[in-house]
Amino acid sequence: MYPRWLWPGFAFPGVLWLIILFVVPFYAVIGVAFGTVDPILLSAVPIWNPLEWNVGWVNETLTRLAPGGDLWVVFVRTCEYVFVSLGLSLLIGYPVAYYIARHASRTKNMLLILLILPFWISYLMRMLAWVNLLAPDGFVNRFLQFAHIIDQPYGFLDGQSSTVILALVYGYIPYLILPLYASLDRIDKSQIEAARDLGASPFRAFLHVTLPLSKTGILGGCVLIALPMFGDYYTPNLVSGAPTTSMLGNQIDLYFHSTSQPTIGAALTILLSLFLVVLMGYYLITVARATRNLESV
Amino acid sequence: MTWHPKERGATRRDFLMRSGGAALGLSSAGSLLAACGNSTTPSGGGGTGAGGEPVGPGGLPLARPDKRVTLPMWENPIESGLEPETGGTFTVFNYPAYFWKKLLKDFGKKYGVEVQYTPFDNIASGIQQLAAGSVQPDVMEMTPDHLDQVVAGKLIKPLNLDYIPNLQKNIWPELVDPFYDGGSHYTVPYTTYATGILWRNDQVTEDIASMQQPWDIFWQAQAYKGKTALLSEDRETIAMALLRKGITDINTEDPKQIDQAVSDLKELYGICNIKVGDSQYQTIPEGTAWLNQAWSGDPIAAYIYYLPAKTPSTTLSYWKAPKGHVPVQNDCFSICSTTKKPVLAHLFLNWMIDNGIAKSNFINFNGYQPPLNEIEPTGLLEELRKVRNASWGTTDKAPPENLQTAILTNDDFGPDTIQEMTLTAEGNALWQNGYSDFLSGG
Amino acid sequence: MSDAALPTAPVPTVSLWRRTRGWITNPWGRPRFLVLITWGYMLWSIVPVLIAIQFSFNETRSRTIWSGFSLRWYTWDPSDSVMNDPSLRQALAQSFKLAGADVLVAVPIGVALALGLARWRGRGSGTSNFIMLFPLVTPEIVMGVSLLLVFTHIFTFVHTGTLAQILGHVTFSISYVVVIVRGRLFSIGRQYEEAAADLGASPGVALYRVLLPLLTPAIVASAAICFALSIDDFVISFWLSNGGGTVTVPMQIYAATRAAPLPSTNAIATIMVAVTLLTVLAGFLVFRAFTRGERAGGGGMVGDMAAFDI
Repeated sequence: MYPRWLWPGFAFPGVLWLIILFVVPFYAVIGVAFGTVDPILLSAVPIWNPLEWNVGWVNETLTRLAPGGDLWVVFVRTCEYVFVSLGLSLLIGYPVAYYIARHASRTKNMLLILLILPFWISYLMRMLAWVNLLAPDGFVNRFLQFAHIIDQPYGFLDGQSSTVILALVYGYIPYLILPLYASLDRIDKSQIEAARDLGASPFRAFLHVTLPLSKTGILGGCVLIALPMFGDYYTPNLVSGAPTTSMLGNQIDLYFHSTSQPTIGAALTILLSLFLVVLMGYYLITVARATRNLESV
Repeated sequence: MTWHPKERGATRRDFLMRSGGAALGLSSAGSLLAACGNSTTPSGGGGTGAGGEPVGPGGLPLARPDKRVTLPMWENPIESGLEPETGGTFTVFNYPAYFWKKLLKDFGKKYGVEVQYTPFDNIASGIQQLAAGSVQPDVMEMTPDHLDQVVAGKLIKPLNLDYIPNLQKNIWPELVDPFYDGGSHYTVPYTTYATGILWRNDQVTEDIASMQQPWDIFWQAQAYKGKTALLSEDRETIAMALLRKGITDINTEDPKQIDQAVSDLKELYGICNIKVGDSQYQTIPEGTAWLNQAWSGDPIAAYIYYLPAKTPSTTLSYWKAPKGHVPVQNDCFSICSTTKKPVLAHLFLNWMIDNGIAKSNFINFNGYQPPLNEIEPTGLLEELRKVRNASWGTTDKAPPENLQTAILTNDDFGPDTIQEMTLTAEGNALWQNGYSDFLSGG
Repeated sequence: MSDAALPTAPVPTVSLWRRTRGWITNPWGRPRFLVLITWGYMLWSIVPVLIAIQFSFNETRSRTIWSGFSLRWYTWDPSDSVMNDPSLRQALAQSFKLAGADVLVAVPIGVALALGLARWRGRGSGTSNFIMLFPLVTPEIVMGVSLLLVFTHIFTFVHTGTLAQILGHVTFSISYVVVIVRGRLFSIGRQYEEAAADLGASPGVALYRVLLPLLTPAIVASAAICFALSIDDFVISFWLSNGGGTVTVPMQIYAATRAAPLPSTNAIATIMVAVTLLTVLAGFLVFRAFTRGERAGGGGMVGDMAAFDI
């Protein structure tokens, strides 16, 4: 009914925009990372021709990222933070998603609204809220002292790993719960009822029916929040500020904003992206597949 | 001196909020003052010139306080006695909120131009923008350690000092003919500052000033865990560790010395879980930090604008090392090659170091001390006291003697001082990688 | 037959502990343990923000000790209130400028792209789909770095500043518009356009007078979401700013929080939250108003929320 050129024609401006301002910039990063530094201005001089690439900077970054290097420490720490935060987020988020999806009938709408609310509250506002609460004279310390759990105000904001991890959990958990909820919501009730009818206890029904069926939701949600967490640098800066909690993003930030070696920053960005491409690829393929399924409806 | 509290408030806090805001532009490089002179991008392309001396870009020699450098004029300066240009815009290129806009407006009215203020994040990105042609300012703030770069790149014009009589009249002798720009061929000094330690003496019990090596306080700060911080600057942190061990060459490029300094700094993780940041002018008076490496303008800013009314002004203490062991630094202004109003630009530089203008900029807005002969410490402290009483409603009777150490004089500059200056490209990389190592926290 | 004849056993007294445990683990009632966790999570999630909002109305400078209600940090503090501090006002202005420009550019491009990708079956559609999805999974710092470098080395006529920020915001917003509009397209299906064609409408008329009105709620919803995303964005704005006039509210909050925030920081954050929530609410209400006739009885808001599910 429609001419054949219509739909590609509609898609063209958007695809062109994304190619120019999303795909090409990646090549800019590569060009800078494999480029040189202008000796007078100390700015990056990108090299576009792959045959002339200068691998010096990338090599240097790789050496420092390898075990034993100073960047390796940061990389390991970043992985630790991400995994612990993921674990905690799942631990808290799964029961919440499960409850809302499967049990909350009367209050479901209200709970959904409360669930979505943090999306629309700026991440920085939420961190600001916690920085205020964790201050030496903030609510948390005052409460702990009131309950005689501690005598002196505890330095939550004094460069503690635990504070950074909790901040990451607090910041990213809404992005995990929503996909989890969506996936749990889609599970057909009849399958669980069948398991119960066949004699499984509620727990076993959960373990053998619900959990496997929500696997894609779990994996998808985890990937969805792990990716931005790996690049996070503002959270440690906000709640800590100490080098002992710095993440990979802090190093990238340092090399671009404070040094005359943007080439190292670019190299780090590329290496980080390569590391994450596995996660990104998994997510993209799953979503693309799901979209195709939807289209055939 | 009086002013409208509204004026002072809006502009001054504007600046101070912005220096926290400028910090975001520089992130871990620190606030606007951080990058002033404390180089993130020293001259590169270095190597050795004839005679085995390390040189900077364009083969220009690297200046040091005890090694004067006279930069060659790459073109003839303008003729004397010309009339200033009028009409159109006049662009000042500087750190964010580093020059009081009210004064700039007055300048514009006097000469019939519209003054525009274009900020750059830090001096390195400013120079890059200038070189790329994305800005065409008339005058630009400059730091001595980037002078080689911009002169080699012909980005700033030589000066005709006939238009700038205030230089000889008002500015400290040491800076009239500075070591980094013999004969003041390209620059006019703007502000000065030094690096020392700022602390709250109601929390920190040690008498830091009488310690044998006051920098050691950081290595003994177990009791102040989480409340201590260093400046988020590669040059400042490593220089501090060097000075603590008695090494006064803070422009060293010896990898062994730098490595040792970085390992020393790493000890601080375990001792006091050291932080890095540039907001000590706020965090110390508010009490969220107790012990900080700080620039000399910070205690003054803290005293005037951040110390709550109920905290006695004697709570703040500042220490800086004696001459030859304390890093001093100064900013300058220069005329860009892109200017279409060279005569007016010269007059701007002269106007900027007029006693009234420079002092007003300092006390009402900037907080960083201009090298004026007219300013003497006791009188200055008295004026600061009046400012604080006016803005906080306090009734301090005595000037803040505890801030005496934060005030600089001509004696603080000279050939036997130490100043962070340009490095070769390799030296640069050593310092930056060392700092990145320190920031990795491991 | 009569109840009175049945002997009644004595009711056993159950300890408090057993009763509580029984209440929590009651297999026939709602799982109490989950209830506790869920409501606990909700409180943990929302209450800190409410406290922060409360303290924006604090009378003194303290963000931790409440002294009384006042609009000081919004209006009358002479130097630090949102109204009197030029840097806060300018940040608000810049944030709204960017968000407005973002909506104006990203929504048309995104709607067109959604239409194209949903219906296009030829070669290149798969790749285009991939390219569209990529920004959704790219860490923001990677995007920030790449945009910064492209604007300083390839498209140098843009260089950092407001234009760069707008371009960056649009780039990450397009994908969100596509996902939302495409979801709606799938639920509409082709039935209405085909009916229009059967009744003699040309393709242009079918598109303009049948499909577009049906899409309007999704377009409005995606505009609201674009606006909200842009206002709350921190990383891209930060990397593409050049100081001074290009500072946005999140950047201002970041700087203030790292140094020593005042309640005026809370105030400006509260303004942002209010604006964002109102925008999303408005978009959502429009969505519901337009789709009134299509909702199945009990689906209600739940189905609509799921429509936003990415």
